[in-house]
Amino acid sequence: MLVGTRRLGAALVALGLAVVVAACGGGNSNSSNNSGSSSGGNGGTPASGVKKGGTIKIGTVGPDSYDPVEFTTVQGNSPLQLVYKGLLTYKDVTGTSGSQLVPAVADSVPTPTNGGKTYKFHIRPGLKYSDGEAVRASDFENMIKRMLYVGGPWSSFIFPVKGAEQYAGAKKKDAKIAGIKVDDKAGTITLNLTTPDTRVLYALAITNYGLTPKSKSPFKIVTGSNAPPGIGPYTIKVNNPSPTNGQFTLTKNPNYNIPGLAKGNVDTIIGKVSTNVNKMTEDVISGALDYMTEDPVGDLLPQVQQKYKDRFFEEAGYPNTYYFYMNTTIPPFNKLAARQAVNYAIDSRALQRIFGGRLKPTCNFTPPNMAGYKPNTPCPWGDPNGPGNITKAKQLIQQAGLAGSSVTVWTNTKDPRPAIGDYLRGLLNQIGFKASIRTLNQTVYFSTIGNKKTKSQIGFTDWYQDFPHPGDFYGQLLTTAAAQGTPSNNQGFVSDPHIDQQVDQLDAKPPQQVADGWAALDKYVNDPQHAYVAVYGNEEQTAFYSSRMNVKQCSGYPHPTYRVDWALLCLK
Amino acid sequence: MATESATVSGPQSGGFEEVAQREHAAGVGPWKLAMRRLRRNKVALAFLGLFVVLVAVALAAPLWAHNVAHTDAYQNHLTDTLKEGGKTVNVVAFNGTPVGPQWFKAGGRFFLGADGNGRDIMVRLLYGARISLLIGISAALITSVLAVFVGLLAGYFRGAVDTVFSRVMDVMWAFPVVILGVALGTALNLGGLKIGPINVQAGSKLIPILIIGFVYVPYIARPIRGQVLSLREKEFVDAARAQGAGSLRIMFTEILPNLASTIIVFLPLAVANAILLEAYLSFLGAGVQPPTPSWGQMINDGISRITSAPHLTIVPGLMLVLTVLSLNIFGDGVRDAFDPRAKVRMEV
Repeated sequence: MLVGTRRLGAALVALGLAVVVAACGGGNSNSSNNSGSSSGGNGGTPASGVKKGGTIKIGTVGPDSYDPVEFTTVQGNSPLQLVYKGLLTYKDVTGTSGSQLVPAVADSVPTPTNGGKTYKFHIRPGLKYSDGEAVRASDFENMIKRMLYVGGPWSSFIFPVKGAEQYAGAKKKDAKIAGIKVDDKAGTITLNLTTPDTRVLYALAITNYGLTPKSKSPFKIVTGSNAPPGIGPYTIKVNNPSPTNGQFTLTKNPNYNIPGLAKGNVDTIIGKVSTNVNKMTEDVISGALDYMTEDPVGDLLPQVQQKYKDRFFEEAGYPNTYYFYMNTTIPPFNKLAARQAVNYAIDSRALQRIFGGRLKPTCNFTPPNMAGYKPNTPCPWGDPNGPGNITKAKQLIQQAGLAGSSVTVWTNTKDPRPAIGDYLRGLLNQIGFKASIRTLNQTVYFSTIGNKKTKSQIGFTDWYQDFPHPGDFYGQLLTTAAAQGTPSNNQGFVSDPHIDQQVDQLDAKPPQQVADGWAALDKYVNDPQHAYVAVYGNEEQTAFYSSRMNVKQCSGYPHPTYRVDWALLCLK
Repeated sequence: MATESATVSGPQSGGFEEVAQREHAAGVGPWKLAMRRLRRNKVALAFLGLFVVLVAVALAAPLWAHNVAHTDAYQNHLTDTLKEGGKTVNVVAFNGTPVGPQWFKAGGRFFLGADGNGRDIMVRLLYGARISLLIGISAALITSVLAVFVGLLAGYFRGAVDTVFSRVMDVMWAFPVVILGVALGTALNLGGLKIGPINVQAGSKLIPILIIGFVYVPYIARPIRGQVLSLREKEFVDAARAQGAGSLRIMFTEILPNLASTIIVFLPLAVANAILLEAYLSFLGAGVQPPTPSWGQMINDGISRITSAPHLTIVPGLMLVLTVLSLNIFGDGVRDAFDPRAKVRMEV
């Protein structure tokens, strides 16, 4: 481009910034929010008499990896849970029942023995992978070793098994894991834990622990086209691995026949990978796509909420908690008064607006739809649906001698997190701090704030369940052990012996059995005597379908583990 | 081209040579001559006037913020309400839609509406102008100083010095400025800049200033080097050398003054390009960091609401267009005034 002679050229480029980008936009405005509308799901039970067959197209930002031990996102879990099943899995039903553990490759959910430290599984006889190879018990051991060897992000879930953590550290492929015994002939797998821990069963049911044949599972991360076969109702073919314009195709697995699990209603699911959420939304409106894994944003959200109520749903069905972490080890949040002040000052109504109305204010650390959730009423910080108590917060800061203290708020670039961070910055200034903001790219954000050396004081964080067990929240986010990891998910570096002891005790028993204990721990965390975190809400997830889809009988939404269970989707 | 026709075919024009001869015959110095030519260029002066107005508007930002809008560029008003014709209106609706332009219905508050965080767009626009001008002018000055330094050394010493500087410039030239700017901006906004005693914190406004100042150096250094190569062969340089003047003295007292018109011609264009690049970088998240207002960032923030609140994108875009246009047209006028025969262009 030439500047100087081409005056208008430069001006047009500037105008381009203002106008050409509008191509990304679209949609309408000014509509009421239909948050809390009915799910349109299939009533919590697999629908019968629904149409079988056909092809559907799904818009998605795509899996972050097609390797089952490597992927981390919901967008990865939704398609890959159809391809890879582990010893156990989650029930293919919508609603809270979707958190129920059911056997998959194993023939039953085992009852622990040896004081809760031993689990024995038996593999279903005659089970085959999608390529026809027979499933063997040793494939499970190989899968665990592979995950630990390549450093799969969910490796730590298996650390309660004797020798697993040591294997991960040793980086020797052929080393033994003392706590895993397999017998191919008898088809049995025995797990011995160091301490009783019910989280292990829930972790084994996530897609990342899906079985793959030893012969086709190299000890390295594989790309889409080399992904190993699995045991699931569908097989996957990655047509184009591009993260911006990719495609994958799920087709029925002829060898799949696990009783009690959904076999999939449609014959073929085509995943259209794109980062353009607005285009995705427009395509669902026009019928070019049948469903999208993303939430409509900006102008299109109110338009969709208003015009397509019959096929657009919003619910906090996928357990999550949004909160501000406060570093309890450094000033000013090592002082209880500072943490209390933030909790008193938060106005969830403001944050609701930042989320476009898709935030349910809460006073609980445990999310709804999770064992141990009991609404924390009355909320010690005031009505979570009302305004914050700025006067009280200011008073606390003054009395603690913290007025004028410098605070840096940390947040990341993913929408709407910059706005959330800015809200907190404004709030802290309002109550007497001198706050500034630091916005990091989302790809490095959590590893940076989770490093103790960063000394981040306060900032945005959230947690979506890995598996439906309250230990997944408290164990990973608020224990001393979690605080010692680098990076740590306990970004406030909370270290309280009571929490550690409670988590250990409660983890040893099935969560439903000790729900009251988890509820008490929730209350303890939010108690003004501790105020370890500043919780403000649970995000509602959306599901938007084309008019071709039978959303009344088989929306597959909301599924607490898969968000939408694609195995339940069907056409009209 | 309006400015060129105004310069070349004015009422007294009888072709360039004739005009030049007439002006020289009057015994007018080159600076006065340039000013006279510039005064004749009404379009350039009109756009200079527009630029001055924009600067004045930017300087008046605090006046508007404190006396009319009663807020600042950073304050969120997410749960505030406004009275609009007896009706109470949310500054940001429950579904996140911000209020549109209020003009003077709310006494000047939210004159151009609010953004998604309930911040006053008009106030942010005015403060954004300050940031754009600050970064644009500072970066252009840095570019000019570095470019003159590099151009002088390379052109005067030639040989190995020229080879080293020219190849470095070639390497920089090989990268499109936006790509280079985004790469540097992303890296520096993450970890800050630490070179010896220089320590610039991540997120500081100095980062986009330094980046923009740096990436444009080859675009000015090259033509300056070319001019220095020519000037060093002139008789007055030989005369200075014969009188025993050293290299430094020749460069700064003989050659540099003869580069002044080139630098002056480049400066407004460099400011315009710097403002544009700042907007690009901020738009892409690699420039001015939030919550500091910046036009590029405001455009980015407004994209997702382009249909319901187009002003969020269009107003900062328009400000950017006016600023860049005024500087470019004025810059062209300056170029025509200083060297009507010049074919000096700055490629970007």
